[in-house]
Amino acid sequence: MIIFAQVRRELLAFFYSPMAYVLLTSTMILNSGVYLFILAFATEPGSQETAATVLQYVFGGTVFFYFIVLAVPAFLTMRLLAEERASGTLETLLTAPIGEVGVVVAKYLASLIFYGLLWLPTALFPFFLSRQVDLDLGPVLSSYVGTMGLGAMFLGVGLFCSALTRSQIISVLLAFGASFGLFLLGLLDFVTPSMSHDSWTSYLNLWSHMEDFGRGIVDTRRLVLYGSTAVFFLFATVQVLQARRWRG
Amino acid sequence: MATVIHVENLTKRYAATTAVDGISFDVAKNEVLGFLGPNGAGKSTTLRILTGFLSASSGVVKVDGHDVFDEPATVKRTIGYLPENVPLYPEMRVSEYLSYRAAIKGVPRSSRRKSVATAMERCLVADVAQRIIGQLSKGYRQRVGLADALVADPKILVLDEPTIGLDPNQIRQVRDLVRELGQERTVVLSSHILPEVEAVCTRVVIINKGRIVGDGNPAQLRASFGDKQGISLDVELLGSQDKASLALQRVEGIRAVQFVRTEEDTVARFTITAEPGYGVRERIFDAAATSGLKLLGLSSRSMSLEDVFVHITTEEVHHSEPDGGQA
Repeated sequence: MIIFAQVRRELLAFFYSPMAYVLLTSTMILNSGVYLFILAFATEPGSQETAATVLQYVFGGTVFFYFIVLAVPAFLTMRLLAEERASGTLETLLTAPIGEVGVVVAKYLASLIFYGLLWLPTALFPFFLSRQVDLDLGPVLSSYVGTMGLGAMFLGVGLFCSALTRSQIISVLLAFGASFGLFLLGLLDFVTPSMSHDSWTSYLNLWSHMEDFGRGIVDTRRLVLYGSTAVFFLFATVQVLQARRWRG
Repeated sequence: MATVIHVENLTKRYAATTAVDGISFDVAKNEVLGFLGPNGAGKSTTLRILTGFLSASSGVVKVDGHDVFDEPATVKRTIGYLPENVPLYPEMRVSEYLSYRAAIKGVPRSSRRKSVATAMERCLVADVAQRIIGQLSKGYRQRVGLADALVADPKILVLDEPTIGLDPNQIRQVRDLVRELGQERTVVLSSHILPEVEAVCTRVVIINKGRIVGDGNPAQLRASFGDKQGISLDVELLGSQDKASLALQRVEGIRAVQFVRTEEDTVARFTITAEPGYGVRERIFDAAATSGLKLLGLSSRSMSLEDVFVHITTEEVHHSEPDGGQA
């Protein structure tokens, strides 16, 4: 099918650029660093931490996790449309029968797959832990659901930003700025204790979302938020691409 | 012959300018149509609308009976398009790129390898199949772009400035290829180089400031504009300039006599513009004889398409709006 050919090309394009290897290496170092540090802390005599809480720290318990979740999608998507526009290849791409929707969906899927790939090495953490201690795999899986959900949302934001400009730098700054703004909005939940637990800030509080996921709680409202935000931005991306036909 | 491209009243306006201003034309099956015009005339804009990359402000474009606006995917399957400046992915290998392009153009997996091989062979890029596109010369890249346009075996080829930036040998190769391709499919190409259009195209549409100012085969265009402009003659006479020009001015049917300076004092050379179809050459001969001048040379200059082009695109300048936007 046409879309799969495009997804394949986009995935290959990630690996043609040094960016892919830089991102793979740096996230791996960051994640392993956090894991080893927390493991060392947890294995000190007298520590209250368990294997489960170690993983909770790795997936959403430190700022490093959010740094990866916010910055990596911005970097992954910055090239996707901005470069096509700058180099003129958007013209060959959009005059093939794939269409704007096909292009956007294919690029998004490819970035989602690559994002998943970036987290793949972290599967070693629960794997090694489970060989040493008894580990409930439910919370591990739900942590991955949350991690992928956040990524899915921010990749949508990033792809949209990439459609707005021909400059990759502007795209990455816009995407990171927008994603970080959304993240901060959710953190307001922590500084406004007077509000009830069901306030809009708690709906956006990604940090507490990840705490829930880490405990094995999969709240569909969270998934709906991530999914609908992603779909909204993908729709907007298609609109931007179609509007270009009129502006020239 | 069957019409494969139908363009009616096509207009494209940008915020401040009108790039294409109500043009209409039809392209018949297996025609090689040349879009000729100075830079900024609206050639690329027209081709981009034809291929569905841009949308028209108003007007109808039908390709093989399908409206570009209503059925973009069908139209895009019918057309193989080579954009100006040949955008390619520099990091991919030639065969890999063409195979990917074939896939997104809907060539089934089973015949993809064959389609790519055929396109590479026709466009003479088979020898660089495994090279990285970014490392190829401009000529090769141009032909990779052509191979891309061809790879899904489209009924119609749209080529925007296919020879720009090539050296003379490469230009010849591309022209030969286009001429060959035109024998079995419809080709629309744009160019601002006249000999190219004259060499390759069966029909020429001249466009200036977003409007069509000439349409026909090269011979027809020469004839119709030749009538308006008159025929042009070179005359050489032995004798003084004054005497000779006096004699020539008396000849019936001559519109203008222009003296051409030469190094020999005894020879007077003129360029003459005369009414077409008058038998002017005979009368010049007679006039020279009666005034006692010896006629050394008399030749009629045939109008080139270049003359036609220069004539109508500069004439238009007097009564048209400011520049029509993008090339």
